[in-house]
Amino acid sequence: MSLFVALDIGGTFTDLVAFDLAGGAIHHAKSSTTPYDLSVGIRRTLEKSGLSIPNIDTFVHGSTVAINTAIERNGAKTALLVTQGMRDVYQIGRGNRPESYNLFFKRPKPYVLRRDTFELIERLNAAGEIITVLDQDSATDTARRLGGNDFAAVAVCLIHSWANPAHEAKVGELLATHAPALFCSLSHEILREYREYERMSTTVLNAYVGPRVSRYLQDLENLLVELGFAGQLYIMQSNGGSMSPAIARRIPVATMESGPVGGIIAAAEITRDLGHRNVVAFDMGGTTAKVSLVQDNEPAISQGYFVGGAARGHPVMYPVVDIVEVGAGGGSIAWIDEVGALKVGPRSAGGHPGPVCYGQGGTEPTVTDANVVLGRLVADRFLGGEMPLDVEAARKAITDQIATPLDMTVEQAALGIIDIAIAEMSLAVRSVSVGRGYDPRDFAMVGFGGAGPLHAGQIARELGIPTLIIPRVPGHFSALGMLLANLRHDYVRTYYKPLDACDFTEIEAAFDTMIEEAHGVLKEEGATPDLINYQRFLDIRYIGQEFPILTPVSAEDIVNGDVAALRAAFDRIHDRRYGHQAVDEPVEVVNLRLTATGEREHLSFPGIAGTAGEALIDSRPVIFGDPTKPVISPIYDRDRLAAGEVVVGPAAVVEYASTTVLFEGDSLKVAPSGELIIEIAQGEMA
Amino acid sequence: MSQQSLDPVTLEVLRNALPAIANEMAVDLQRTSYNMMIYEVQDYCCALLDAEGRLISQNLGGVSHFVADLGVVIRDGIARYGDDGFKPGDVIITNHQRVGGQHLNNVCIYTPFFFDGALQAFAVVRAHWVDIGGLSTGFSAASLVSDPWMEGLQLDQVKIYEAGEPDEKVLGIIRDNIRFPESSMGDLRSQMAACKLAERRLDELFARYGRGTIYGALERIFDETEKKCRNVVRSIPDGEYEAESFLDPDGPDKSLTVPIRVTVLVSDDDMTIDLTRCSLQRNSGINARTLAGPYIAYKALTGPLEPVNEGSFRGLKVDIQEGNFMMARYPAVMAGWSRALPTVVDTIVKALVPALPDKAPAAHLGTLGGSMTFFGKDPESGRNFVLQTIEGGGWGGRPWEDGESATVSVCQGDVRNAPVETIELKSPVIVQQRALRNDSGGPGKFRGGLGMRTQMTNHAEGRWSASNAGRRLCPPWGAAGGGSGAASVNYVQTPDDKEMKVMDPVRMVSAAGTSVMVATAGGGGWGNPLDRDPASVREDVLDEFVSIESARNDYGVIINPETLDVDVKATEILRAERRNRDETDGAKIR
Repeated sequence: MSLFVALDIGGTFTDLVAFDLAGGAIHHAKSSTTPYDLSVGIRRTLEKSGLSIPNIDTFVHGSTVAINTAIERNGAKTALLVTQGMRDVYQIGRGNRPESYNLFFKRPKPYVLRRDTFELIERLNAAGEIITVLDQDSATDTARRLGGNDFAAVAVCLIHSWANPAHEAKVGELLATHAPALFCSLSHEILREYREYERMSTTVLNAYVGPRVSRYLQDLENLLVELGFAGQLYIMQSNGGSMSPAIARRIPVATMESGPVGGIIAAAEITRDLGHRNVVAFDMGGTTAKVSLVQDNEPAISQGYFVGGAARGHPVMYPVVDIVEVGAGGGSIAWIDEVGALKVGPRSAGGHPGPVCYGQGGTEPTVTDANVVLGRLVADRFLGGEMPLDVEAARKAITDQIATPLDMTVEQAALGIIDIAIAEMSLAVRSVSVGRGYDPRDFAMVGFGGAGPLHAGQIARELGIPTLIIPRVPGHFSALGMLLANLRHDYVRTYYKPLDACDFTEIEAAFDTMIEEAHGVLKEEGATPDLINYQRFLDIRYIGQEFPILTPVSAEDIVNGDVAALRAAFDRIHDRRYGHQAVDEPVEVVNLRLTATGEREHLSFPGIAGTAGEALIDSRPVIFGDPTKPVISPIYDRDRLAAGEVVVGPAAVVEYASTTVLFEGDSLKVAPSGELIIEIAQGEMA
Repeated sequence: MSQQSLDPVTLEVLRNALPAIANEMAVDLQRTSYNMMIYEVQDYCCALLDAEGRLISQNLGGVSHFVADLGVVIRDGIARYGDDGFKPGDVIITNHQRVGGQHLNNVCIYTPFFFDGALQAFAVVRAHWVDIGGLSTGFSAASLVSDPWMEGLQLDQVKIYEAGEPDEKVLGIIRDNIRFPESSMGDLRSQMAACKLAERRLDELFARYGRGTIYGALERIFDETEKKCRNVVRSIPDGEYEAESFLDPDGPDKSLTVPIRVTVLVSDDDMTIDLTRCSLQRNSGINARTLAGPYIAYKALTGPLEPVNEGSFRGLKVDIQEGNFMMARYPAVMAGWSRALPTVVDTIVKALVPALPDKAPAAHLGTLGGSMTFFGKDPESGRNFVLQTIEGGGWGGRPWEDGESATVSVCQGDVRNAPVETIELKSPVIVQQRALRNDSGGPGKFRGGLGMRTQMTNHAEGRWSASNAGRRLCPPWGAAGGGSGAASVNYVQTPDDKEMKVMDPVRMVSAAGTSVMVATAGGGGWGNPLDRDPASVREDVLDEFVSIESARNDYGVIINPETLDVDVKATEILRAERRNRDETDGAKIR
């Protein structure tokens, strides 16, 4: 019983990583995702892994069922109950048009029809006081009507329920009695934060995806039990933590953006062991590159996001690992626009047909094709030689479609394609580091995803990041991260007062209530009491501002009610983030936030073998900075590199699903734990 | 500049990096500003201009009527101080209508950027301050003032910092002459910080690529942008297209509407928008000195999602004379400068309906939304409060789908209404309803979007101001045979009133218990409503967007009030009758 397994279902592949605590081995297995019935792919992947299911102690699962249900709009028929006068709040939203010159903008399409939205007679004010008592008779009628209809879910979001949930809770009871078959989502149980549209949207999404996610998780549990599983099952959340399936069934919206977070968690964890506190996690795959900031070994968290994009998406006010995504991946297509400008992306050839060099029918040149032309991807060693790449086809596509029209050589064009992609990704990295007041020169970068190790070095050089770390199994890094994710729950209470008027006894009591709730949940999930941690935050802003800053505070700060210390902490963060502070301006508290974590058993992966034979397997011409001067560069097999071994660029290190490129002057050393630690040569490259 | 340094790759990298700077300025400004006009309404713009005042880049999103209008401000500054009149560390403030041509709340802050000791560019942030002194705060001055001095503090290209040293006297005068100085001084700090951020980013770019490469790239970027816009114009059939509309009377004589007449001339890839037949400048505050109307329309047609730069409008010629109400001479009153703009844009689109039968939508709400302001001093906390929200209205039906409901105007972009819970947290007000207005969308094959209704009651004394005005007599028109949307209207009920009374605009000190309601306009319909699929009409009835009566009267669709099903046969008969009648009427008119 010492097997830890993570199973990550992505759009294309179902990915498994397992760690055997006793034997110290890392296993991985992959098979195609089966969208018609995900359990088929899960079963197949488990079989392929050859693992003994009864020996699994912990099974962590990340799924895209919630997000896919929302995007494909095939969730439950959902009703919405609101306060009198607010029937259309969900339809109206915030009335904005993020694309300001677009006459044909589209508003987010509601998941609940207007005809399925019902008003309840009740009203609270902002202090949570009851102005109009809930009319239970008509509420009961409404609940009965929903129960007798073909609804499968109901969302309840009443005005100011964040301040006092009494009415919402009562409506919940009525629904449980009179419409027991419906999946019921009460806004205060998801979050107690002001701003009714965003809270309503979150509650509706939770209800809309609820029945399907519940069913799916139940099927998964049944399947695992059938296969003999007797351990703990955990589900990944958007906030980078995990949770029990029981809670995931109640708050499925918390899993919505869990897909890409595994890699960020893993980046935070492995760099902690390597002695780095501040890290940029860079994940580049076939269609996009994702960038996230890890600060003091904690992934940056954002308190909300939009499902379906900011321009026309649905707001979800729920903590999520803060990821900036750009449309640059290995499959991004290079093209020339109507006025003759060279562009890369955002269109992608994806996995199918994929880049031209895959020989699967792709005809438009991609970033991967450019890498092949430059010799940075070794064509006959791709996927361990299982899938040789067609260099000539890549050359021809770039020559015909890019180089000839722009009057360049094919090498110049290929280099240009890469440089444009690098510039775009560098802007993204800059936005999460410099843009938030951090100097990238104080950071290390972790490069992963299939295409990450190939490009990360150039981005690091561009921004002056001195150290690049390529983890083990960079292509399975996301699943690996799930093995490392702690149990985690976030809580919020809107508490709106000028800081100097705050009643800290009241604040302490509010935190205590949240802690009590969190403690119960974590205990139920099997967290070890000694390993439970609470981090308190205050959302603070200058009076008059709208966007508060999440300011970490200690329990002592609250007990002492040290206003001066609290505001000094806020001023400092404001100054770092925005470059100015206003120490004389009054500040106010907006929300109290609590993050509760239950640390999971710390997994230390075994070091790598001392030596495994000759790692230098080849040498090839590779183009780095000068398109006219390929440099004969040694090619190393990563699996044979021993701990402590040093490789100096120019060079390439190949492994099964990825290639790491070293430019001249870059120096790589293999860590005892197996990561490639690369010191990036600074300054203009040759 | 060497040709070699201007390869397509460097060009593309700079093409992306320059707008990124303006966008980064905008993010910082919005996140740190102290007033909801900036953080919610996004009533600001951030831009980089070169040493001659040409637009390098401007943030996208936010308020669209600031598009490419900072060049005049910078060129005026250069004329004032001379080419060598700027030093590193200077900060200039200006809101003067002589060139700016907007209400005085729109305060520009700009800084010169130097590299290698020479002036290279300017970073500019214009933002709407909550108060600029004068008669009243917020929007409410617009209809009360009769000259710029009543409107507020006029700042004409004043250096508030010289070579890094603040001029405390000038800053003191500004602080002493505005209400809520802590808010505006906070905004000033945010504006300056955004300019400084831009200077740092420009410095990195200049250090890396050099002045020659950057300026060479700019010329190419401008040229390519112009060419792309011209390519779109070339696809519009050549011709002279006219349209007219009008705003409600803006003076004491209630018969004098404000005419807006436009001619759009398309010849190959050239477009001219002629506004010379619009009203001459007015005694009311709706004058402006701006090309925003034609610019927004041209931008929406030629590349709504592309970055904005000096090339974006080189393919457009605007004919407008001095003294036109959109090119008013100082000291014309401009306190309500942006009020006519949504209608100007819509009238240009209207002119193009015959040229673009499958692209041009029907009219939208045509006003800057239903704005509601309530301010005063909270009797419990003793603190000043200001509540402001802007409620959207309906957009016109499109040649392929219904218009969107309850959305801000074409001039407002990413402007968000204030949440009910925020309003009630911050001010002594209860929001009774925020609802779509049934039957307000113009009937059409593709229905206009619905307007909305927002009602609030104050429970402490304060000053209400609500405006939604200017288009009650000329409601949003339909296109291609579609009907008009419902016009906007505002109501008030004081504690002494028995019922709500129409009042538009609302400006009053109100006792506790006063209710104010704004109802915004619906969008116009596109196409003959008799051609609308009866099943879609039924769906609208089920959602109560359209009443059973309107289904019959406007769409010729009979819905059984019991079963809510379409009576197919009765509908066919009614529609045939209507078509017949319409043809006969048409013949008579002809």
